[in-house]
Amino acid sequence: MYRLYLVPTLAINMAIILVPALLTVALAFFRWDGITEPVFVGLDNFRALGADRVFWTALRNNIVWTVIFLTVPIATGLLMAALLLRIRRGRTAFQLIFFLPVIIATVITARIWEGMIFHPQNGLFAWLAGFGIDLQNPLAQPATALYGVAVVDLWHWWGFLAVVFFAALRQVPAELIEVAQLEGATFFQLLRHVLLPSIMPTIALMAIMTVIWSFLVFDFIYILTEGGPAFSSEVLATYAYRKAFFDLQVGVAAAAALVISLFGIVATVFYLRIQAREGEL
Amino acid sequence: MNMPTRPTTSTAAALVLLASSAATASAAERVVWWYEAANPDQQRHLAEVLVAPFNAQNPDHELTIDYRGNELNRQLRVAMLARSGPDVVMTPGPSYVASMAQAGQLLPLDDLAQKLGWNDRLLEVFLDLGRFEGRLYALPKTYETLGLFYNRRVFQEQGWTPPRTIAELEALAEAAMAAGMTPFGAGNSNWQGANEWHVTLVLNSVAGPEAVYQALTGEIPWTAAPFVEAIETLERWWDAGYFGDHYLSTHTEQAFGKVATGAAAMSPTGTWNFQYAPIYFDGIEDELGFTGFPSADGVAWPIYPLGIGTTLSISAATDNPEGSAAVLDYVFSQEFYTQINKVWQAEWNTPLRDLSGVELGDAVMPQYTQAMADLARAVDEQNYGYTSWTFLPPATNNYLIGGIEEVWFGRVTPAEYLERLDETFQRERAEGKVPLVPAR
Repeated sequence: MYRLYLVPTLAINMAIILVPALLTVALAFFRWDGITEPVFVGLDNFRALGADRVFWTALRNNIVWTVIFLTVPIATGLLMAALLLRIRRGRTAFQLIFFLPVIIATVITARIWEGMIFHPQNGLFAWLAGFGIDLQNPLAQPATALYGVAVVDLWHWWGFLAVVFFAALRQVPAELIEVAQLEGATFFQLLRHVLLPSIMPTIALMAIMTVIWSFLVFDFIYILTEGGPAFSSEVLATYAYRKAFFDLQVGVAAAAALVISLFGIVATVFYLRIQAREGEL
Repeated sequence: MNMPTRPTTSTAAALVLLASSAATASAAERVVWWYEAANPDQQRHLAEVLVAPFNAQNPDHELTIDYRGNELNRQLRVAMLARSGPDVVMTPGPSYVASMAQAGQLLPLDDLAQKLGWNDRLLEVFLDLGRFEGRLYALPKTYETLGLFYNRRVFQEQGWTPPRTIAELEALAEAAMAAGMTPFGAGNSNWQGANEWHVTLVLNSVAGPEAVYQALTGEIPWTAAPFVEAIETLERWWDAGYFGDHYLSTHTEQAFGKVATGAAAMSPTGTWNFQYAPIYFDGIEDELGFTGFPSADGVAWPIYPLGIGTTLSISAATDNPEGSAAVLDYVFSQEFYTQINKVWQAEWNTPLRDLSGVELGDAVMPQYTQAMADLARAVDEQNYGYTSWTFLPPATNNYLIGGIEEVWFGRVTPAEYLERLDETFQRERAEGKVPLVPAR
């Protein structure tokens, strides 16, 4: 009888997750413009993906994005969290400052960077040009567009990780830290041998989530570059969006969405295996 | 406080009045029109010039405009699929009409056109653009063209004359650069689609409208030599710096403004920019010049590419076809044309055949009136070109926009760009996605 309590949750999950997910899987095998009747085309959409160099650019960009976000914000977040642990005064104020970019709407953050910092005619870059420091708008160059967007997203993101890691570090038993300090451990030895091993599950979870989020990235890229110039900052999510809503190729978009999900599933399985292994220990 | 135990006479009268007004309101059947993005001033113009007079003249119908912003197209497609959405359907162009008509989501308008006299009232070529498999499904809300804006004062000071040939254009661009000006006031930071204006211009003015017509009707591929030359020309202009250093960081409106300040010599863009003239050429209206884009040797001058930015249709799922038809009938009237163009120029150039009853007075810039008269004559003389957003199917046009940046940044050659463009076009053509092209 108690199983009946699961029914509402299951019904909601089926309606808003399972059914759309199954429809997406099915649509990947159809040619559909989102308006007329879908036509079954087998694996044609996947062949079209494989033959499209923009798709491969998007996939490569997602991998680059993942590498950037697995390293820069996690390292910065860990370092800042460890430093927060060492100070007593102003911790709350620093956490608030670090967290502030996270709560600002994506579009506002993006527009501030685009119009007030990167802009070569009326932004910070234009002001610096007045002093002979000639900086190109990174969003306007194919070689730097992806990294330009990444800078904006990193600014918005690392504070969140710092606060999460700080919360985890505060759970490390105080006696462990005291013993290390009595033994004469330096700050980096303390970090390397005590703090990081103690919060490894949190780091692993954040790393796995970073992989999943990196393959879902859409908002900053779409707002700042729309995947351009010359498709140079295209990622799988903007590629799928373009296919579905501009090219009216919903089937190809669904196939691209499946590729995104594939990376998410791999990351999730990896995380579950780590958890299972830790459970066995 | 003394509360009356029974309604007083005045209260009863008020209730009767309230009930009767409610009955009147409910008697009027609603007509819902989902509209794209519009700023507060534009929304006010529509409320005053369209909604209020329409509702006053049509007591049986109540028009409601629902502003959906830039996501209109996406929302519309989902809603239409679910057989819901608005009564008056506003699409971004004929290629969307083809898909919706194919799916049976739009009401055929042939009988209404006959009954309400639209066949006589509207220019035939525009009615043709709204047809799919021989039936009329859409009417163009406005028509537009591309050309060359320039600053008459700057040209006079520099001793320049508006160019008519590509050679003259290039000589003038070099002179402008030597004078410290950017040859083209152009940018796409807010609208990547701005790229298609430049591609459309070279396809029509370098390759020529005949070649474009042949490609659209499948007689020749997009990889044919005239198109390669056209894209190579555009590549050459980019490499020479005609678009300036900040094309990808410049707002389209900002680019137009550069012509007013003299920072840019010319602006190759569309007639919709006349709506910004009162802002950037305020007090110096006479300085604004507009002419046809220069043509290559062997191509007539001027070629005005014909464009339809938006179309209007009636949903097949509407509960109020009569009211929806009445709205379209009002929009395509001389009365509405006159009133809306007095307050909102270059956005409501409905293709009326007879504008003799239209008195716009000083409200409209003579340059705009002249430009639209030139376009109307070009259409009448079958001497018009084709804008990509009106005549190309969606995926082809999307690649035309994004792919040209690959050419500009040296990632593909013009021939490779056209090869992929043609491949996409032929696939969409086979799927029946290419909008109807009126015979020349």
